Amino acid sequence: MKIRFLCLLLITGLSYSEIFAQDKVTLSGIVSDISSNETLIGVNILFPELNTGATTNEYGFYSITIPKGTYNIVVSYLGYTDISETIILETNLSKNFSLTEALENLNEIIITQNVEKLNIKKPQMSVNSLSSNTIKKIPVVFGEADVIKAITLLPGVTSAGEGSSGFNVRGGASDQNLILLDEATIYNSSHLFGFFSVFNPDAIKDLKLFKGGIPARYGGRVSSVLDIYQKEGNSNKFKVNGGIGLISSRLLAEGPINKGQGSFLLGGRATYAHLFLPIFDLENKAYFYDLNTKISYKLNKNNNVYLSGYFGRDVLSFNDSFKNTYGNSVLNFRWNHLFSDKLFSNLSLIYSDYYYGLDLGFIEFKWNSGIRNVNIKYDFKHYLSNKINFQYGLNSIYHKFNPGEIEPSNPESGINAQKLIDKYAFENAIYIDVEHKLTDKIMASYGLRYSTFLRLGQDELNTYENNQAVIYNQDLQIYQKAIPIGTDKFKRSDVIKSFGNLEPRLALAFELNPSASIKASYNRMNQYLHLLSNTSSPTPLDIWTPSGKYIKPQQLDQVALGYFKNFKENTYSLEVETFYKKVKNRIDYIDGADLIANNAIEQVILNGEAKAYGLELLFRKNLGRFKGWLAYTLANSEQRTPGRSSFEPGINNGDWYKTPYDKTHDISITASYDLTKKWSFNVNFLFQTGQPITYPDAQYVYNGINIPNYGLRNEYRLPAYNRLDISATYTPKPDKNKGWQSEWVFGIYNAYNRKNAASISFKQNEETRVNEALRLSIFGIVPSISYNFKF
Amino acid sequence: MKKHIFLLILTLALYSCEDVIEVDVPTTEPRLVIEASINWVKGTPGTNQIIKLTTTAPYFNDGVPPANNAQVSITDQHNNVFHFIEDSDTGIYYNSNFITELNGVYNLTITYNNETYTATETLLPVSEIEFVEQNLEGGISGEDTEIKPYFTDPVDEENYYFFEYIPNIPVLATLDTFKDEFVNGNLIFGYYVEEELKPGDEVLIRSNGVSKQFYEFMYILLQQTGAAGGPFETQPATVKGNCINITNPNNYPLGYFRLSEVSEVNYIVQE
Repeated sequence: MKIRFLCLLLITGLSYSEIFAQDKVTLSGIVSDISSNETLIGVNILFPELNTGATTNEYGFYSITIPKGTYNIVVSYLGYTDISETIILETNLSKNFSLTEALENLNEIIITQNVEKLNIKKPQMSVNSLSSNTIKKIPVVFGEADVIKAITLLPGVTSAGEGSSGFNVRGGASDQNLILLDEATIYNSSHLFGFFSVFNPDAIKDLKLFKGGIPARYGGRVSSVLDIYQKEGNSNKFKVNGGIGLISSRLLAEGPINKGQGSFLLGGRATYAHLFLPIFDLENKAYFYDLNTKISYKLNKNNNVYLSGYFGRDVLSFNDSFKNTYGNSVLNFRWNHLFSDKLFSNLSLIYSDYYYGLDLGFIEFKWNSGIRNVNIKYDFKHYLSNKINFQYGLNSIYHKFNPGEIEPSNPESGINAQKLIDKYAFENAIYIDVEHKLTDKIMASYGLRYSTFLRLGQDELNTYENNQAVIYNQDLQIYQKAIPIGTDKFKRSDVIKSFGNLEPRLALAFELNPSASIKASYNRMNQYLHLLSNTSSPTPLDIWTPSGKYIKPQQLDQVALGYFKNFKENTYSLEVETFYKKVKNRIDYIDGADLIANNAIEQVILNGEAKAYGLELLFRKNLGRFKGWLAYTLANSEQRTPGRSSFEPGINNGDWYKTPYDKTHDISITASYDLTKKWSFNVNFLFQTGQPITYPDAQYVYNGINIPNYGLRNEYRLPAYNRLDISATYTPKPDKNKGWQSEWVFGIYNAYNRKNAASISFKQNEETRVNEALRLSIFGIVPSISYNFKF
Repeated sequence: MKKHIFLLILTLALYSCEDVIEVDVPTTEPRLVIEASINWVKGTPGTNQIIKLTTTAPYFNDGVPPANNAQVSITDQHNNVFHFIEDSDTGIYYNSNFITELNGVYNLTITYNNETYTATETLLPVSEIEFVEQNLEGGISGEDTEIKPYFTDPVDEENYYFFEYIPNIPVLATLDTFKDEFVNGNLIFGYYVEEELKPGDEVLIRSNGVSKQFYEFMYILLQQTGAAGGPFETQPATVKGNCINITNPNNYPLGYFRLSEVSEVNYIVQE
């Protein structure tokens, strides 16, 4: 029904705009920064008389088709001085704009230019953008600016906790986030078990986090999309910037190629090896490094090519007995082509790889696992008129999964080499997104994505009686692995199982007045890959597995409704949203499931469901010396896995239980204050309901040890989490724009030294043999200092 | 495996600290806990066996109460019935004429508080511990005492092992489970590491042959006694063994009915 409605809308939309497109002209071009020539994403090109406008895309390109005439045009972008000029449009015109960064003049009280305007008109809701400047200002532990830490300060986003990877969006799991770096999927977003994220803030231009109303051009994950774009590099001048911190240092060089026809960027970041050496008298290493590269080249007016790459590794080792290496690598080639001033296209060829390796000398074995894929994407943006724009495209991904390989680490080892069976899959999608101005007050964005997933042949696949890989033992009242009745063999070209799903997307904005609007959205999404993880928070060792004969794809339906308002000439903005979402086929694990080195993962998995709902509030002050935001989220996130028949209880008696990332209240306050040109201050405050955990309801003794007996899942919570961080930035020569420029950043993380519980575990004391509850807290107060420079 | 690695990393993480806190935990009605472990140490007659019955108690109570006045018996596949008699009110039930038979199937019956509990299990053989190696500079840190009992896994079958390392110094015994999935048919070793262990100390090493079901039971049980609730731990849950309450299935017992052949070595740590 919904789909038919959408198709109808599409068709009417198309014919409608074709009729009226006759005596109109198209203005298009690129908007970039005047000093670096870096293209700018999300710049508004406004025609105040027509009450219409365009926005630059991810490649800085804009296009708008309007009636012939003479107009005022305003080009505005966060942190830049507006360009305002009169333009005569008689024929199609290609016009590039170069914006100048607004220098904050503190003698004036209000800095009008520096504003991230809340977009009232656009139907896109549930989206947050952060520029790399905002991210860099937020104080974080060890003074290392961090993308993931910054987004967890937004409403609806929480971190899984200190020292754990990933983030959770609107009560979703962290494997439900699609993380894209220059359009390439990143499978693990964290370094050093979540203490740092893999994104070097110096190399990042812009990021967007979609929490709901996700456009049809994105798919493959059900919770959110974090879309991150790397800088292209300065095509005017050779520039270097870097920083020296307590934990890591970074250096980034960028410059022109062939007199500004192209540019390059090369950035590196590394922590100092032997991170733990000062504390432990052990030969050990714990460090990470990453490398960001990008080359952009303008072939001619209508063609640009980009080559970008990312390579990161974490290394952890102790003596010869333990060595752990893991990380992502990504290589991406893109070609932007303008078919006409109305039709922009981008072709991407992407390779992504996640590797996890472990060498356990002390028990004589080596292990590696990973995922690898090749992705081809062809996307079009069709700027039909000032009323209607299209985005359409297609996408094919070939996945190869290495669930694990075991090797003896020396010739005397008693380990038999074994390779778990590789898995293969082919994921395809076609989509269309329409942005349609229905009336002066109502804008709609609707789209449809058709995704298919083909699980390809693998060497062997178990078969089970009644196709049930998990059985319920009624006598013992436990779920057990079923014993396979045989195996099927396949050729690589066989399709073991295929899925196809239509994913409608819809968003509407109704403008109440020029400064307020109401927006509503619905999106359906499918996720064909699952991260196998039965721990409270994900770890780098967790393995991705495809949907197939025994594992169904996750399917999300989400609705959201919001109210958006700008106050006092955009000085303040308010965003209030509520959402409700349901995920079908969320996998859950039978008790005691071993997920690592398991060749028959279907034997420990049951299909369940998840739901989440909540209210989010974001109040920002965008202008002035004092800027910042207050984010509050009230939410609930639960999951359940009922029995497959009336004879089975399911997991946790088939009852709904809180997910580990259910946080009832989540408040974050971020504020910055520019005291003088030389000194500025930043403060963060966070308060979150503690993470749900399971308490023991009894103890017993078995085989001489005390055993805690656990009851129903996640019925209790850790104590509430709260923390205050402050930082101060000192710029010795703020007026200097050339040569060596520098700043000092002083920070205190967890300023009142609260022992926030990362976990509570119940154990028998080794010496007294008495049962105890042990609280693990990771970071107390952490002062930091770092020095940043550029020249 | 995963558990050990992440524990290690968290322990080493800068600034992290662990402290004991007060927590109000829920309480439930007591349940019967069955520790029916029939151990036939190689080279012994195996006629003297014990079964321990206790009940659960609130988590922070000091100790657990014995389950008294139960009728306990084991029947073998030749219909021999072995009655286990309680020693006063200790909750420990004894039998001195037990007949052990490798791969024999046994049935346990317990009547306690007018409810009847049963279990069935097989007495499984185990490979002999052939020799023991030690390393005083072992473990991941390179500073702990490491002890490896070596044995040869039979090639023709799936084998599951339950190891007990009981030192004569005041530290808790270490229990471990092991399966031959990646080492089938090879000369392999159990792995024990204890930082407190010094030359001259003794460790009783016991390798028990166990069923796949016991292996899975013990694997989960040990996972939950380690650092359950930690960020890298699996969801804790009630661990059910192989005993069932046939009178009232909802009042299920905890514990396990296990029968094992045991290879035992008393190892003295060398200089």
